Amino acid sequence: MDLSGITSDKVLDARGLTCPMPMLKTKKTLKDMASGTILEVWGTDPGSKNDIPTFVQKGGHQLLGMEDVAEGYTRYLIKKG
Amino acid sequence: MGNNSFWSSTKEEARGLYAALFDKDWPPWMAGLLLAVICTVYVLWRNPWGVIAGYRNWGDWFFYGIGTFADRPLSPLMHNFSLSNIGLLGGALASSLLARQWRFNRQPGIEYIKALVGGVLMGFGSVVAAGCNVGGFYIAVGTFSASGFAMMAGMIIGTYFALRYLLWEIEKFPSKASPPAAPASEKTRKIDWNKVQPYIGGAIILVIIALFYVYGAMDQTMLGGFLFLGMLVGLVMHRSRFCFVAAFRDVFMTGESKMVRAVALSIVAYALLMAVLKWLYITEDGIGVYNRFWLGGLGGGIIFGFGMVLAGGCGSSSLWRAGEGNTKLWVALVPFCLSMSFFYPLLQNAGWFDKLGSAVYLPAVFSWEWTLPLYGIFFLLWVLIALWNEKSEKLVIF
Repeated sequence: MDLSGITSDKVLDARGLTCPMPMLKTKKTLKDMASGTILEVWGTDPGSKNDIPTFVQKGGHQLLGMEDVAEGYTRYLIKKG
Repeated sequence: MGNNSFWSSTKEEARGLYAALFDKDWPPWMAGLLLAVICTVYVLWRNPWGVIAGYRNWGDWFFYGIGTFADRPLSPLMHNFSLSNIGLLGGALASSLLARQWRFNRQPGIEYIKALVGGVLMGFGSVVAAGCNVGGFYIAVGTFSASGFAMMAGMIIGTYFALRYLLWEIEKFPSKASPPAAPASEKTRKIDWNKVQPYIGGAIILVIIALFYVYGAMDQTMLGGFLFLGMLVGLVMHRSRFCFVAAFRDVFMTGESKMVRAVALSIVAYALLMAVLKWLYITEDGIGVYNRFWLGGLGGGIIFGFGMVLAGGCGSSSLWRAGEGNTKLWVALVPFCLSMSFFYPLLQNAGWFDKLGSAVYLPAVFSWEWTLPLYGIFFLLWVLIALWNEKSEKLVIF
């Protein structure tokens, strides 16, 4: 999936953090953002690969994409619903 | 021609099997059922599964080594629960290697502080409750020890307050992230780490199986069995990321009910299996029933619950997370083990244990005919509350 064309409004760097911190921070950051804006989360926690998509879907937001980057972390692009 | 297609189709099968087992995480409900079966095998083999006895053995060695304890503890390689923990670590390590997920993970400093505090609280809570999330809750409930429910209530309370703390902390002390160490250099190395990982994982499993035979040769088959069963637990739990912390915490954090359902299913399945063994006296009534109802369970549960959320792992998930390279849990395990060894004799000598309650065997109170339906109703209620909360988010605190 080519996510390079998407510019995010905010970047949440959660690299190195593990459960529950990435989820906690993502939810909190997303809450304070306006509808339609895009949050980019950087994470290394394997659990986030399940947690974030599930949360995004249940919360009425949209997961634009999720990709593993060469530098060794995962980018999640979330559009707030 | 015939040989070629046989081997190539076998390779295809093997690749398909590998993909099915390791490409995606296992569903927690499935892992929960497997766990119930493995735990039953533990009981038939010798003892119900537990992790803190092993932690205490390791902690005892530290205090013996520095001269505080006079008695030499049993060697960690000859202690059944120590071996079970080592097996769990090995199984989780193997699982993460096989899934190409193992990584050494470095975290911001504040995470390690929480790991230390969480570890101490988990150790202390386990001593008070006479068990952690495994022996004090999962196994206790499954073997019909009333204190399991007291600990469950305690863990709900402890988790709630710990989550409140974490929310306050990310507001007041937003921590910097820790970018991963440059793995880009790995591509220039001769060995491709990604390709090698699964083979190392497979080798670890073979080593543990071989060790089972070694123990057998030493006439210690019982110990070898604990090592092997521990490995199965570690494998199953890591593959599914089975986490008791999530079952308690997610209700308040995101409303996610997945782990509640998985734990409820697993515990009911285990309880039914234990009922089969206990009802007709295949297994003694008292097996697994020693936790102190109710102050011990409740108080220990609150403290343990708070600690596990801080540390990011419970008694069992600390081990499998440590196995996948999560350094925060490496740090948490140290005070967990040490505080177990430290507080157990302290509380025992101070006469606390008698004041915290006594073992209560539920079928003796309610009879089997009532206990089993009550269990079914109780856990169904727990699941229904979690499902309701998922939709309404009434219990979610932010």
